[in-house]
Amino acid sequence: MSQNGPIKGVFLGPADAPYDYHGGKLTHNLILFGRVCRALGMNVTPNRMMEVGRALAHIQLGRKQDFYYTLRSHLVNHPREFAYFDEAFEIFWRRPSDGFTTLNLQSLGEERRKKKTQFLPPLESSPSENGAKAEELDSSMIALVPTYSRQERLRHKDFAEMTAAELEMAKRVIAKMPESLGMRRTRRFESGKGRVINMRRLMKDMIRKNGDVTRLPTHRRKEKPRPVVLLCDISGSMERYTRVLLHFMHTLAGSLYQVESFVYSTDITRITRQIRQKNVDDALEDIGGTVLQWGGGTMTGECLHRFNWTWSRRVLGRGAVVMLITDGWDRGDIPLLHREMARLQLSCRRLIWLNPLLDVPEYEPLTRGAQALLPYVHDFLPITNLANLEVIVKALQNLSSRPSAEIYRQRYLA
Amino acid sequence: MYNSVDELQAALGEQDYIAERGLSVAIYLALKTGKPLFLEGDAGVGKTEIAKVLSTALETDLIRMQCYEGLDVNTAVYEWNYAGQILHMRLMENEGLGREAMESELFSERFLLKRPLLQAIEQSRDGKAPVLLIDELDRSDEEFEAFLLELLSDFQISIPELGTIAAKAPPVVVVTSNRTREIHDALKRRCLYYWIDYPHFHKELQIVERKAPDVPAMLARQITAFIQDMRSMELFKRPGIAETLDWTAALIALDQNELSLETVQDTLGVILKYQDDVEMLDPTTIQNMIDRAKVEAQRA
Repeated sequence: MSQNGPIKGVFLGPADAPYDYHGGKLTHNLILFGRVCRALGMNVTPNRMMEVGRALAHIQLGRKQDFYYTLRSHLVNHPREFAYFDEAFEIFWRRPSDGFTTLNLQSLGEERRKKKTQFLPPLESSPSENGAKAEELDSSMIALVPTYSRQERLRHKDFAEMTAAELEMAKRVIAKMPESLGMRRTRRFESGKGRVINMRRLMKDMIRKNGDVTRLPTHRRKEKPRPVVLLCDISGSMERYTRVLLHFMHTLAGSLYQVESFVYSTDITRITRQIRQKNVDDALEDIGGTVLQWGGGTMTGECLHRFNWTWSRRVLGRGAVVMLITDGWDRGDIPLLHREMARLQLSCRRLIWLNPLLDVPEYEPLTRGAQALLPYVHDFLPITNLANLEVIVKALQNLSSRPSAEIYRQRYLA
Repeated sequence: MYNSVDELQAALGEQDYIAERGLSVAIYLALKTGKPLFLEGDAGVGKTEIAKVLSTALETDLIRMQCYEGLDVNTAVYEWNYAGQILHMRLMENEGLGREAMESELFSERFLLKRPLLQAIEQSRDGKAPVLLIDELDRSDEEFEAFLLELLSDFQISIPELGTIAAKAPPVVVVTSNRTREIHDALKRRCLYYWIDYPHFHKELQIVERKAPDVPAMLARQITAFIQDMRSMELFKRPGIAETLDWTAALIALDQNELSLETVQDTLGVILKYQDDVEMLDPTTIQNMIDRAKVEAQRA
């Protein structure tokens, strides 16, 4: 049975017979349900399923609610999965009217992809298409019809696969990529020369030397690379650069420590999970299907507001460095942009603006958006030839190890 | 121990903790299968409270470990009493003991300072394992998480100088997180996961009435309706149940029987902790919310 084909015919007895929960079918169905959950992206292992089986012995199986929570507390471990789980549970564990239940895993996967695009207005379904689909189905099966709209597909962005030359360049870039965008002293100690006496080692030394202290062993604070947050503008004015920028983000996500990636134009979407895939083409294809606001207008203020409200507390901890990638063209609310930039700057360690709209050598950031961004960024990195990732890397290599103090001087000493 | 989910729910209710069915099932299973309970949810929805209530209900000790960045074995598990060891070493020098004897004497349980995790493993009151609360795990770092992973799977701790200490009865473990960062899947996988949401109107009203018995009935309804309304706004930090209860206490202390524009304005700092959020509520908005809350309180 292929993973993607429908699992057919879990026979539950004739339609009028009472559903036998205690029969051997429960285990069978549990395992099938586990597979459905796994197909939906939940972390379901055989071990987990065995635990579910054991846990079920403790509850009254007749109470559907308890059964539901038992499964959910074992199989779901992230709030984002609740909706998928509920949907799968609802469909899987209902009493089938004609003795069969069929699950098409792929269609559930399709539902999942649709879920992520909530910010779109609901698409009109074409009745003729649905009608045709319904006829194809075996009437004795309950099946989930894959709901895939042609209209939606048009909004997906297709990226050409990476060429050999690009792959070659990516390799070169990765080799030159700085290991971090700054280090942070943690509260943890590691052995080595430092200022704090390592008591544990001192005791060992003293015992070895019969109670004499000959030297004071020390340890020092451990350093870790700072987390990095990438916010990339993918609006219409940036369209030409989007592909290469996503390649760049993929490279960063793969080579730096703890990178969180977001793209925005009229709305902001987190793409951390998608961009982490090893193969850049897979990652881009996935992102193309997830993010649907490609090439729209830029509403930086509104997007940063959303970022500050829903994401900043989760991704800006531990002295994160934020890299904003935008050309500074903005069609949104400028006073709002000022407020949100101020907030963003105060909640991160360092704010870097990477500006790719610099085909003109004498470019000056004069647009309203750019004027709003400039006072809040620690570092302004203009990139003249974006087609070449190496230029960006060079700019990153030349970054000072600390954010410039200029911004503080302007704000607090003026 | 409880024999059914209903029994457990009733026991929690006796401790004035009103748990949803789902949470009760999760706790029940945690107790029965010995798995840690991993609770997530916004601040102030009663995650920490569960551990406290559970320890009272089970008549056992609560061992609490507050996580923070850099939390290490020395503060979480055990530390040697170095000052004591050095003193003792000086005394022993006269006795001319060999190195090995000295070592076994110095690194004995006498000089071991037990921190929460070791306490939780060793301690049991009348054979009853304690409740171990690992609070705000998201504040710790990956290194500690990795250590915890090991502890939670075997409930044993090895101290190089002393050997391995295993729990006689594994503690009931409650882990909470505020999601300021994602906890690693490997850890979550070992736990039963439950997301505590904000309560709906009736549940919250029940909580307010239980926790503040002297609140006038109408005021309790108005407070609950007002807070419920507030949670639907786009706030930086939405008020939790903790804030509802604080606010109730504040309004009782001010001898209020009803919400009024003036008192709400004066006490807004009890519910909202961010200036941006306070600014969103101008007098007209507050007045509208009060009016709505009053209607809602009458109707419900």
